[in-house]
Amino acid sequence: MGNVFSGIFGKLWGVNKEIRILLLGLDGAGKTTILYMLQMGEVIKTKPTIGFNVETLKYKNISINMWDLGGQTSIRPYWRCYYADTAAVIFVVDSTDKERLETARDELHTMLKEEELSDSALLVFANKQDQAGALGASEVSKALNLVALKDRSWSIVASSAIKGEGLTEGLDWLIDVIKEEQM
Amino acid sequence: MSKLEKRLRNLFSSPRKGETFELKSGLASNYAMERKESIRRVIAAMTVGKDVSSLFPDVLKNIATHDLEQKKLVYLYLMNYAKTNPELSILAVNTFVKDSEDPNPLVRALSIRTMGCIRVDKMVDYMATPLKKTLMDTNPYVRKTAAICVAKLFELHSDSCIEQGFLDRLVALIDDSNPMVVANAISSLVEISRFSNDSKVLNLSPVVLRKLLMTLNECTEWGRITILTCLADFESTNSEDAFHIMERCSPQLQHENPAVVLAAVKVIIKNIDQIEGEAKQVLLAKLSSPLVSLLSTPPEIQYVGLKNIKVILEKYPTILSRELRVFFCKYSDPLYLKLEKIEILIRLVNDSNATLLLSELKEYALEFDQQFVDRAIQAIGQISIKLPSISKKAVDILYDIVASRPEYVIDQAIVVLQEFLRRYPVEFTSSIIPIIADMSIQDFNNPRAISSYIWIIGEYTSKIPHLESKLQRVAETFLEADPSVQLVSLTTVCKCHLSKPTAQTQQVLQQVLEYATQKVDNSDVRDKAFIYWRLLSLEQEHIQKEVILTTLPKLDTIIPLFPTSVLNELVNEISMLSTVYERPGRDFVNTDDTNRYLNPNIQSRRIEELQLIAKQEIMDNTVKAEHLLDFDDDIEEDGLSGSNSIGINELNELNDLFSGFNVSPTPIEK
Repeated sequence: MGNVFSGIFGKLWGVNKEIRILLLGLDGAGKTTILYMLQMGEVIKTKPTIGFNVETLKYKNISINMWDLGGQTSIRPYWRCYYADTAAVIFVVDSTDKERLETARDELHTMLKEEELSDSALLVFANKQDQAGALGASEVSKALNLVALKDRSWSIVASSAIKGEGLTEGLDWLIDVIKEEQM
Repeated sequence: MSKLEKRLRNLFSSPRKGETFELKSGLASNYAMERKESIRRVIAAMTVGKDVSSLFPDVLKNIATHDLEQKKLVYLYLMNYAKTNPELSILAVNTFVKDSEDPNPLVRALSIRTMGCIRVDKMVDYMATPLKKTLMDTNPYVRKTAAICVAKLFELHSDSCIEQGFLDRLVALIDDSNPMVVANAISSLVEISRFSNDSKVLNLSPVVLRKLLMTLNECTEWGRITILTCLADFESTNSEDAFHIMERCSPQLQHENPAVVLAAVKVIIKNIDQIEGEAKQVLLAKLSSPLVSLLSTPPEIQYVGLKNIKVILEKYPTILSRELRVFFCKYSDPLYLKLEKIEILIRLVNDSNATLLLSELKEYALEFDQQFVDRAIQAIGQISIKLPSISKKAVDILYDIVASRPEYVIDQAIVVLQEFLRRYPVEFTSSIIPIIADMSIQDFNNPRAISSYIWIIGEYTSKIPHLESKLQRVAETFLEADPSVQLVSLTTVCKCHLSKPTAQTQQVLQQVLEYATQKVDNSDVRDKAFIYWRLLSLEQEHIQKEVILTTLPKLDTIIPLFPTSVLNELVNEISMLSTVYERPGRDFVNTDDTNRYLNPNIQSRRIEELQLIAKQEIMDNTVKAEHLLDFDDDIEEDGLSGSNSIGINELNELNDLFSGFNVSPTPIEK
């Protein structure tokens, strides 16, 4: 009984409401590392994600359902199953992997064309800045052709998941945008 | 497009409705409570048989949760519908792998069990690592679940299962400290050896044997059954081993679970022939009270027990000879149980207890259930034919029964009396014939009874009063009678004609033969009539008498027995469905099916072979046909080449035909 009431009141005031954020990107970009860095604040040993991880984070009094989807070629087609009702997409790019930036760009633009994602904000992490030879945020932005995006709030942030740099800045921006646009 | 515009459009776009849509949006809700509630509703719909497979991706999304209840529900859904969405099932892999490392052993076991149940080819690759880990888990519950999982993996993909060394790990689990794990490892290995038809998978070395016998007393019921069944299949080579196994298993005979009892009985029966002398008798005597204990269970289980006892009794008739009273029918027993108990009773009877049984059967014959009464009367016949010592008493009892309620029992009684006369042709003529004398054909209803009545008339022509009028009735009803009655009527009128040749019997014979040859459409009846007619027109009376008035061989017993080969197979399959069906398992279990799981190529290869054979046959036939048409030798060569070209053309058409057909076998392979 108590559950039912808390459920109803929670719904009325939006207390228990969770917002959905997708973590996408090519395989090996660092999505799972970012997820657990944000959730637990530590670097965990990861294996390629066959399927997905989902964790709930409390961030600035908002609970976020963060979905980390596997980035392997075989799993990418299933991303679309998760698009519905998504507040924002975080696209993670391996800044050292110059050869596959083009693939990343194509995947990003195909994804954003989806009707279901037309309202979601976009945050790009130019990840792995700790490694030598990593491209800067502006170079990645250019390679991904982000300027071409219309009708969408987007931002790109240089990050290093294993050092925890750039993640909170990116997330702060994203939460502000979501609060402003959707709540 | 402005935001406002979009919202407006969403507002006015036709609202989608229906239960599925509702569930779908519930599953993707922003509120954890609503998601869980929706999953509950999906599972509820699933259990009442609605197809909710279209919600697969939406349910799957909820798999990664820390809520144990929700996890269980989603896993349950997955087991049911993974087959309908094999591609999407991959998305669950990450969660499975994570769960198999969960600190909670229940979650670890749950994940490995579900992975095993999913049976999607793609899953196999991802199963190896978690399976390896869980097989060596510190928690026995997880290990025992993983052990079963190996058999499932083997069924799906035997090669990778062997390559990854899972079989060796499973064998190693036999040495586990926990009896439940040992039992599951054994049952898994038994399953695998059945699939692969390779008995070497489970090698019962002396060490393993000792371990099994030690584990036996600590296991759960299921574990005991598994181990006992496995021990029963083990062929002991010397009497010492056999004796040891039987001795260690015999405490299980006292177990309260009837399946365990039967499994233990089976172990002893399989090994008993290895030993001789007094020890054998002692062990056999030990079987009697556990078998009797099967009768204190609910009726359905009693029925299974009785069926098994019947098989065991045929192999070792003396085991229960002192327990006759236990098998007496209770007033409240359901009919199927009563009938089965009579089966046992007639097999237990001997000279010392026959009188007791006879009076019991008399009671049964005075009951009101027609089927039960019939069976009891039949049983009286069966035991008195088996034991001459009580035949006199049996006839008296039959006479009493018939006298007290003729209309109710006469059909069955006449059948028994006929069988009686076959066994004791002379001894009881004077007491049986008077019962028959006053009866006419209308007193009986079923064909079997009428046949018996007619047979008796023909056999004892000289002793039956008013023979002619009785024969007249037979002739009158001939055309409406059942073919079995017609056949015996033919014989009887011929017999009467030969043994009492009067004008009347002559006339009846003429009439019946005419009916049979002209108006009856059953070919057996017609043929028999023609044969008699020819025989009777031969003018050689001694041959006629020799053929028609021949005396039938004496009956020894009319209790049906299993053929020896079937009996031996049934004894091997005690406590299985075979004993209930009274047919060996290979009759109703298609072993090809199990092989098909093992090797999907077999099915397609068979069809290819069949195609080849069929093509070859059709080609041969066309060539032959061409030859038959070619009478002229000169143009034989031309004819041949012509026929070949036709053959090839037809071959191509056949290829088309078969290529279309080729599609069908694929869905059968599972």
